[in-house]
Amino acid sequence: MLQLERNPQSRKRVEAQMEAGGGAVVEIPGETDWREAAERARGAVQVDIRFASFKDGRGFSLAALLRERAGFAGKLRAVGDLIPDQAMHLKRVGFDDVAPDNDNLDDDWARARARFTHAYQPAQDKRTPVFRHRQAAPAGDDLAALNARYRGLDAMEILDDAIRNEWTGRIAMLSSFGAEAAVGLHMIAQIAPDTPVVFLDTGRLFAQTEQYQRALSEQLGLTNIRVLAPDSAEAAAEDGDDRLWQRNPDACCALRKVRPLARAIGDYDALITGRKRFHGGERLALPVVERIDGRIRVNPLAAWDAERVNAYFKRFDLPRHPLSDMGYASIGCWPCTAPVEDDGDVRSGRWRGRDKTECGIHVPAERIAAE
Amino acid sequence: MYKYDAYDHALVRERIEEFRDQVARRLDGRLTEDQFKPLRLMNGVYLQLHAYMLRVAIPYGTLNGPQLRTLAHIARRYDRGYGHFTTRTNIQFNWPALVDVPDILDHLAKVEMHAIQTSGNCIRNVTADPFAGAAADEIEDSRPWAEIIRQWSTFHPEFTFLPRKFKIAVNGARDDRAGIRVHDIGLQIVKNEAGETGFEVWVGGGQGRTPRLAQKIRDFLEPRDLLSYLTAILRVYNQHGRRDNLYKARIKILVEALGAEEFGRQTEEEWAQIREGELELPAAEIARIRAFFDRPSVSKAQPVPVSGKPGFAGWLRRNRRAHQVEGLSSVVISLKPVGGTPGDITDDQLDIVADLAERYGFDEARATPDQNLVLPHVRNEDLETVWDALVAAGLATANAGLATDIVSCPGLDYCSLANARSIPIAQAISNLVEAEGLAEPVGDVTIKIDGCINACGHHHVAHIGVLGVDKRGEEFYQITLGGAFGNDASIGGIVGKGLAGEDVPGAIVRVLKTYLEIRDENERFIDTLRRVGADAFKESIYVAA
Repeated sequence: MLQLERNPQSRKRVEAQMEAGGGAVVEIPGETDWREAAERARGAVQVDIRFASFKDGRGFSLAALLRERAGFAGKLRAVGDLIPDQAMHLKRVGFDDVAPDNDNLDDDWARARARFTHAYQPAQDKRTPVFRHRQAAPAGDDLAALNARYRGLDAMEILDDAIRNEWTGRIAMLSSFGAEAAVGLHMIAQIAPDTPVVFLDTGRLFAQTEQYQRALSEQLGLTNIRVLAPDSAEAAAEDGDDRLWQRNPDACCALRKVRPLARAIGDYDALITGRKRFHGGERLALPVVERIDGRIRVNPLAAWDAERVNAYFKRFDLPRHPLSDMGYASIGCWPCTAPVEDDGDVRSGRWRGRDKTECGIHVPAERIAAE
Repeated sequence: MYKYDAYDHALVRERIEEFRDQVARRLDGRLTEDQFKPLRLMNGVYLQLHAYMLRVAIPYGTLNGPQLRTLAHIARRYDRGYGHFTTRTNIQFNWPALVDVPDILDHLAKVEMHAIQTSGNCIRNVTADPFAGAAADEIEDSRPWAEIIRQWSTFHPEFTFLPRKFKIAVNGARDDRAGIRVHDIGLQIVKNEAGETGFEVWVGGGQGRTPRLAQKIRDFLEPRDLLSYLTAILRVYNQHGRRDNLYKARIKILVEALGAEEFGRQTEEEWAQIREGELELPAAEIARIRAFFDRPSVSKAQPVPVSGKPGFAGWLRRNRRAHQVEGLSSVVISLKPVGGTPGDITDDQLDIVADLAERYGFDEARATPDQNLVLPHVRNEDLETVWDALVAAGLATANAGLATDIVSCPGLDYCSLANARSIPIAQAISNLVEAEGLAEPVGDVTIKIDGCINACGHHHVAHIGVLGVDKRGEEFYQITLGGAFGNDASIGGIVGKGLAGEDVPGAIVRVLKTYLEIRDENERFIDTLRRVGADAFKESIYVAA
């Protein structure tokens, strides 16, 4: 079974209901009149629409009408004789999942699903049609217009647009290969596995992070990992005793993260991050698109909460960071990262005992200087 | 004309990648032939008798110089030096190798062209009046609406696997030159009493095995409701059109079975639910698209020349059309040299038309449903220069609308569906009409030839139609009389039993001669035929057979 990831919220509800033993799964042939189908779907948590032949397109209208007219909010799955080239059509008319007769073609389905960046016409998915983009976003780099465009798109669609349209060839993902990183990495692997992934190897990382970085990159098929290390001469001069983290953690972050990134960032107009509002602190007001020192940060997961992250891991069977199970909810360098105590915020284990909450790579340079 | 922005470019580029991937998956077996076939068709790739054929979309028949030059390049490099214009204003290349098709699509994409939805059971390339934006009898330019429909219908998620192909035409002039009554949906631009423009909506027309004229289901549709109304029609059709019988799957069969009134009622019922939604066209988008189709202007209007070199005046009389802007004219470039293949054009000729369009035609040319080209905007003072160049290129045949301006499908010389040859019949008729000196005396008449009942050559709506049939392994040709394309659209009737191919030209020449004998003064062929009835011509068809 292959997921089309349309509406994670409703799916989560459906999954919870199904696990609790409530609700039914109903199978309806694609040729069924939509009114009759709506009757049969009443009370169901999942409706499977069966396609007798991939050439018989009645199931597309049926799905559209179940969503649009009957207001069916449960899980909608396409089953039967379907081909990967229909992935986008299925997703756009409101299907969440597809279970094709030939289930050996997951890669083809994943590619087809992300094939087209834009759609001319409105449909039952939330994608903004091109004519509305044109009205909303005359200037491609205008932040308000970009945020308006991305409002209502799911994370995958935002990434699709950012990578394949808005900043084609000039965008990278910034990843810590930390506790939640697999979500965003999995998404870009589906859209374009050769998207540059910038990884800051501070020289102070947990051995588990390094292992996880290699294993996850390989599993997801990411082909363009850019490892950034601190300048060795600077490191010898500023941190000869390896205790800079203790004496001045801001200076340590500047040496090991901020400056290496600043040196490499010229290659990109935009960086994708995995930051989320639920991380708390300054991140509570995180927009989807922001500009930091003249460069764009795209935060497609800004609105995601922990539950949604967990559901995503579960749905795609993604491996966890080895330290996740040990209570580390946010993972940075070993000297400055501790497990989260009960009821603590996700990032409460970072720089514990200090008022520092960010390393500085997401903060404008002038503010760092002023502080 | 319309200019792509980043969104349009991205979609076409992504489509090419998709097609490359589909070809690769067909070759390594991940796609079966049964699965690949509809996918390649939706990219215009047919498997014909001798080779693959690529049908390139010319949205509403509009071309500019760089596009014409690209078509020339494709003809030269990937084909055998020519292309073939079709009755749906597309162009076909008959000899490309399948492996070259993605590269050809790359060339096309660079000049904002593609082969998307030129075949398959989806919404096909939208057609319009070839004189749109130029014609003197225009109510409103149909091209912006055709472009809006093109975008809406491209990769439509709900309507890509329809029961059968689906063709939409838009006409914005008083004269219907788009053939709205022989399309699945025909849109006629009209003005209401308040002077606002809107659409008459006609559905259920089509030719083929069961020719039907479209019925009007709405007198006035407001422009902002265009896409929701089309969606409603397509929804009714997608759910209820027949899928059990290929020959009964077109919307015309559904409209006939339900009755136009009931079909209209179901459409309106669906429409009422979606009218006030996402599909409502923003005025700003309509204005944005319209702005691409500006009317050319001339600073000092010159009159149409009354004389010139020998042959020029005759060409003007036959091939010039009145323009809505004083000082401009439209001219038909006939692709019907006497005895030639209707609609064929060489690579060099395409280059010459590109030059003329750029230098004298505001960088525009059009393809017509009669398989000719049009330069829609030519300054009157440039007409003779243009004519000179066309003469040198073998493109100045002064026969637009005459008996030698024959429409013909590719027939059994190319097409895997055909029962009989059609091009050689067209050539023989053209040669005989010319030899008998009949074209000018007879004047306006349409002759259209098909090699099978699918009727790509539109024989059903020809004044004189010829249909090739296969009878126990032999080619026979049925003659139909009285069809018409346009405001007075009608389906021609079969006159009698089929003729052998070699008897067809003689029979048609005798029909034309009979007309000359029995016509009232200044009466056109079709008017005489309607006055006296087809039976009056029957004898002339069979007298020598």
